[in-house]
Amino acid sequence: MQKNSNLENVLRGVAITAIILFFMFPILWIFLMSFQTNETILRVPPSPFFEPTLTNYRSLISGKLEGSTATLEIAFMSNLYNSLFLSVTSVTVGLILGVPAAYAFARLKFRGSEDIAFTLLSFRFAPPLLVLLPLTIYFQQIGLADTYGGLIWVYQLIVLPLILWIVRGYFEDIPADIEYAYRIAGHSFWATFRKIALPLAGPGIAAAGLLAFIFAWNNFIFALVLASADKQPVTVGALAFITASGINYGQIAAGIMLSIAPTFALALYAQRYLVEGLSLGAVKG
Amino acid sequence: MATSTTGDPSRRKFTINKKYLPYLLSLPALLTCIGILIPFFTAVAYSLQRYRLSQPWAQKYNWGENYINFMTDPSFWNTLKVSMTYAFVTVGVELLLGLGIALLLQKRTRFNNFVSIMLLMPLMTAPALASLMWKLMTNPGFGVLSYFAETIGIEDMRWASDPSTAMLTVVIVDVWVYTPFIMILLLAGLRSLPRQPFEAAELDAVPRLFVFWRITLPMLTPFLLTATLFRVIESIQQFDIIYAMTQGGPGDTLTVFQVEAYLNFFQSTNVGRSAALLMILWAITYFLSNIFIKNWLRLREKARGGA
Amino acid sequence: MSLELTNISKSFKDEMVLDGVSIQVHEGKTLVLFGPSGAGKTVLLRLIAGVIEPDSGQIKISGTDVDGVEPEDRNIGMAFQNFALFPHMDAHANIASPLTAQKQDKSAIQSGVQTLAKLLKIDHVLDHKPKELSNGQKQRTALARALAGKPKVLLLDDPLRNVDAKLRFEMRLELPRLLSDQNTTVIYVTQDYKEAMAFGDEIAVISSGVVQQIGTPEDIYLTPANIEIARLFGDPVINYLDVTVQKDAVGIFALVSDKRVDLNSGYARAVGQDCSLGIRPESILFVPASHPGAVPVTVEAETPLNEKTVNLCLTARGREIMASRPSGTVGPANGPAFVSIEAANVLIFDKHTGELIEPDKFY
Repeated sequence: MQKNSNLENVLRGVAITAIILFFMFPILWIFLMSFQTNETILRVPPSPFFEPTLTNYRSLISGKLEGSTATLEIAFMSNLYNSLFLSVTSVTVGLILGVPAAYAFARLKFRGSEDIAFTLLSFRFAPPLLVLLPLTIYFQQIGLADTYGGLIWVYQLIVLPLILWIVRGYFEDIPADIEYAYRIAGHSFWATFRKIALPLAGPGIAAAGLLAFIFAWNNFIFALVLASADKQPVTVGALAFITASGINYGQIAAGIMLSIAPTFALALYAQRYLVEGLSLGAVKG
Repeated sequence: MATSTTGDPSRRKFTINKKYLPYLLSLPALLTCIGILIPFFTAVAYSLQRYRLSQPWAQKYNWGENYINFMTDPSFWNTLKVSMTYAFVTVGVELLLGLGIALLLQKRTRFNNFVSIMLLMPLMTAPALASLMWKLMTNPGFGVLSYFAETIGIEDMRWASDPSTAMLTVVIVDVWVYTPFIMILLLAGLRSLPRQPFEAAELDAVPRLFVFWRITLPMLTPFLLTATLFRVIESIQQFDIIYAMTQGGPGDTLTVFQVEAYLNFFQSTNVGRSAALLMILWAITYFLSNIFIKNWLRLREKARGGA
Repeated sequence: MSLELTNISKSFKDEMVLDGVSIQVHEGKTLVLFGPSGAGKTVLLRLIAGVIEPDSGQIKISGTDVDGVEPEDRNIGMAFQNFALFPHMDAHANIASPLTAQKQDKSAIQSGVQTLAKLLKIDHVLDHKPKELSNGQKQRTALARALAGKPKVLLLDDPLRNVDAKLRFEMRLELPRLLSDQNTTVIYVTQDYKEAMAFGDEIAVISSGVVQQIGTPEDIYLTPANIEIARLFGDPVINYLDVTVQKDAVGIFALVSDKRVDLNSGYARAVGQDCSLGIRPESILFVPASHPGAVPVTVEAETPLNEKTVNLCLTARGREIMASRPSGTVGPANGPAFVSIEAANVLIFDKHTGELIEPDKFY
């Protein structure tokens, strides 16, 4: 496109290298750390060369940390399980609630539809604590405190707007004529929704689900405020982990790696949809 | 319908169905969220009360007192200052960096696409976990960054535990996590721009800096604005990174709105003050998000083919 | 009466799309809705199909008011201009969709689809998804789908618009036979006057949401209700010349380039009026100078147009007129020539309103 001088190419290369270094180094370093014992981690100067070991992962998965003084029982795997359970259930609930609503907003323009859609969107931007703090008191009263059900309900605050606005865009992209054609051919509204709208918006629904999963998984504040230790996801659990005494740094690193691996994998899998999801459907990648 | 005359009974049923169908479809989602709206109004009420969890008997409306007290409350002004500083510095740096990276990766080559996907990984990291990662790297004892600091002559860099560098540390983490967000949005924006103006400018040998200021930047403005507002709204509410890194410390160095409200609620059990703080934060974000949504809608319509 | 629309109006936001449209179609007949784009034709089809509702007016199918009847219960087939095939189903499933809705058994569906597919020559691509079909195959699939349910009313929304010229030509020949075999009532939307003339038992000319004229193709062609319709039907378009209808001892006449064109005595009521004299290009004949009433023109150019040859001529007053004749016949050389304008072939329109002035029959 433009004639690049050599100097410019060099500068470009340096800039890209620096950027990759800044953004990738922490992940790489923690990854390396997760295969080390305290002995090599505490070396000065730090070095990327060491004898890799799987003990950190092994003890995390078994739930028994061999500390220097005693064996420590830790609940990392149950945190991981909580993350998985909370995210999967929240997304499932979010899809069941959000997809029909998205269809209504996309196809059936009704009185107040835009207002409602924007109200749902505005939850995305309100300070979460504003709702969470009074909720702790309410949840005590109605018996939802420290239950998965209560958490999943609150998770809808992040999951629903995302699903609603992305899926709505996909429904809007289906030409109305295709749905009309199916109706005219003799099929009911519901049959058309199931057999035409859902399959055609399928990729978008799947992408919205995956993104919602990532957001739910990465959430910290909801569970911090509302969940006790046995319901906590990894984001909160890992924090408690680092302050616990007698833990190997390598084990913390291994815990972090295990906690971020699922979202990385999903992000890679759904990369085509990431831009659209992150911008809530405003920008197509 | 005005002129219809037949009185087919099956018709009535249909009319009702059709009228309520959209509500039927969207109601479950709506109810779910309304359930969560109730606490919002409770928070408004709390913010107008003298309410301490430790002294439930003394709970009573004191109306604007919590807000009036803020006027003379240095810790409130500190919160405001810290929040604003955090938001402006993080978003400013992220915007410049994100724009720079997007421009570098603008061409659709395999390498550039690969790099842009790699750069998304920090964004996919839970911010709380990102803080932990940086905590491990800035540990004064064994942290690799502390070592680097030392090799370039900065002795005894204490990062987040030193009031003078705490802000810098959390800003770095925020920049690490969220720059890719701006980058990916601007990259999509850059790649969606029409080619003709650039080709014309090239034919006329217009200087590249001029092209950037007069063509690229103006056309990119909607994307810049959307990305910036989105980030400002989130950044001014930042909690995860700061709480996971320092819990607002050392001292009150990093007591941004949500962290301060959290500490007020759970440590000093001052519900009234906590709620009033959050109301002020809400007012700021509400104002910003209204501007944001307008821009966002315009972009969305464009992405959907201007329908 | 198979289909009866009474006083249908529809507006979107503040824009009136249909304004008091009334149309009737007899069982088994084809009505062509003809008009420029944006006239409201497609909206009318959608109202009949029931996917949108009229603001006012009544739609009766086989004598039953269908207000509030869902599209799936109206027993209608529709082919869309953009085909609107279900992209995730193969051609077979597309065509079968009305049959599955009727809960027919598997073998009946199979044979129903096969018969139609054979008829429309798409039986070899039934397992293809829409995106693997050519435009022509898509169009036939859409047609087959519309026909499959044996609907009482068939709505065809400009089905030949998006296919190539060759296929359009073939379909123009095939489609009328196919439709008459089906013995359904058909509403056919088109912007092409030739299609309208070829397919319609009747044509309804619609523009700006109002029905301008309903009649048989001959009616519309020979006695268009106004100059706009006269211009829409016919290629090249009808010529029109400003004249004043006059009367003298011999009879009623108009002057074209100072030459007298005698008119039917029924035009007495138009005497003294400013009029447009319309004459179809094929009615303009080149004649020798000696021909009575020959009008001098200058032949400027000759162009072939489909099966015709068209001459562009200038009248003595500098007005352009076009004359057409069948291709292959001998025409005039460029330069001065004479044409005759036969009274029997002219149409007189009110110059200001554009309405046709019909001669009084019993004068």
